[in-house]
Amino acid sequence: MGNTKNMVARIPNLVDWSTGEVRLMSAKCNSCGTYFFPKEHYQHRPGCSREGVEDGLLPNKGKLASYTVQYYPCPPPFKTEKNITPYGIGLVEFENEKIQVAGIITDTDLKSLKLGMEMETTTLTMFTNEEKQEVVTWAFRAVK
Amino acid sequence: MRDVYVIGTGIHPWEGFSEKVFADFAAVAVGRALKDAEIEWKKIQSIMAGIFIYGGNAGHLSGQYLESIFGETGVPVVNVYNACATGSAAIRMAFNSVAAGEADTALAFGADVSPKGFLTAKSDNAVQDRDVIRWKMTAMPNPVYWALECRKRMAKYDTTEEDLAQVKVLMSEYGSKNPDARFKKAYSLDEVLKSAYVCDPLRLYEICPVSTGAAAVIVTADKELIRKADRPVKINATTMGSSMYGDPTIRISALSCPAVPEAPMLSESYSASRQAYEKSGMGPQDVDLLELPDNSSWHYLVYLEVCGFCKEGEAEKMLRDGETRIGGKVAVNPSGGFSSHGEALSAQAIWQVIECASQLRGRCGPRQVENPKVAMAQTYGLMGNSGTTILSV
Ligand SMILES: [Zn+2]
Repeated sequence: MGNTKNMVARIPNLVDWSTGEVRLMSAKCNSCGTYFFPKEHYQHRPGCSREGVEDGLLPNKGKLASYTVQYYPCPPPFKTEKNITPYGIGLVEFENEKIQVAGIITDTDLKSLKLGMEMETTTLTMFTNEEKQEVVTWAFRAVK
Repeated sequence: MRDVYVIGTGIHPWEGFSEKVFADFAAVAVGRALKDAEIEWKKIQSIMAGIFIYGGNAGHLSGQYLESIFGETGVPVVNVYNACATGSAAIRMAFNSVAAGEADTALAFGADVSPKGFLTAKSDNAVQDRDVIRWKMTAMPNPVYWALECRKRMAKYDTTEEDLAQVKVLMSEYGSKNPDARFKKAYSLDEVLKSAYVCDPLRLYEICPVSTGAAAVIVTADKELIRKADRPVKINATTMGSSMYGDPTIRISALSCPAVPEAPMLSESYSASRQAYEKSGMGPQDVDLLELPDNSSWHYLVYLEVCGFCKEGEAEKMLRDGETRIGGKVAVNPSGGFSSHGEALSAQAIWQVIECASQLRGRCGPRQVENPKVAMAQTYGLMGNSGTTILSV
């Protein structure tokens, strides 16, 4: 994570770094107990009253539940200044929240990936915008 | 409810990118279906059309465009979209309309023309269309979703890379015998295993591309038309399913999935197939041939389980023991599957039903399953869309 003051998420309301740690922006339904990501992606249990949906941040760390390495460049609208191919995609499990979230794997030797390994949420700078801000997405990396 | 029969089918063979218009492909398929049923256009009392989402206004009103080619008759035309299960929705509506007595004879069709370049987000509004997020933030083309599930499966059930490659070997063997397939080369295990990874563990030959194709079926309860048809095929059930809460599968275009399963994997297809078993009074043990959605080798394996053809974790054994071959316990994808065709969104579910009907009518030449009585077509569509059709003679 670089200078956070100069960072902007390419799409808002998904990733937060205001606490000093990078964390995914989720929401929890206090009626059926389900966590959502993205937070507007409601996935209520049938019959739930849907009352008491509360915004919250997922923990910074989770476990690698699955992964793949993508060998072909992702077409637009995905956009990076540098070619990141081949790149890893991980599915990271947040155990207490009972949710797995997908994201690009960064800053990690792709050959070292193993199911169950501890991962932390971070940011990946994709490009710099006209205001000279770093445009980022969330990403995961192996905990060192 | 009345008994409903398929009396006519038509396919425009699958191919790659095309400059031609989708309605022209549709007209070829529909023209062939009319000829097969030996009926005039004026006999069609209801038209259920699959929407071609890349066709703009014309594609969204594909039924009207098709009707005008053959001559407008004022009959009901309904256009429907359910992702890769679009054709299932069209067939189900045609069936229901005829079974309920609203119409005696109905047409269901779909036609898709593969656009140039990649298929990605269709809007730029991430709040309204979550699909935008996966393209802009996580760089996940569809096969990535399949690879993530395939990796989980391999860890759980010791699936090997040879198993994944063997699926392509089988599919390409059948595809090489299907004149309507797009890919007609038969591959060896070694050739598949030497193809490049797209997103590991899935290789280039283990995932299906996007294609152009069109398919049409004519269904009827008209006793006179059934009597004079060439080997009419009964539709025992045709159903649709959506996902169930707690399904652990990461669905295409989603960014998350439940970590603790509370429903079966691919629950939309579990739901569609169980509804079809209930309505038809039949089960996997009755099915002689199954057309399943092999978008990747992972799908081929998992769908045998989702549809109840074996227990969870036993699909690899079925494959290795030859039980899924033509001549085995259940002939799986004698058409060559999506692997040999590629996806033509609104047409593919109809083409699967046509393969079932053609097999039951004994029309499949070198890939013919011996004397089948019951066939099942199973689809899979993104974000919880699925359809099942069970047919018999
Ligand atoms: Zn709820």
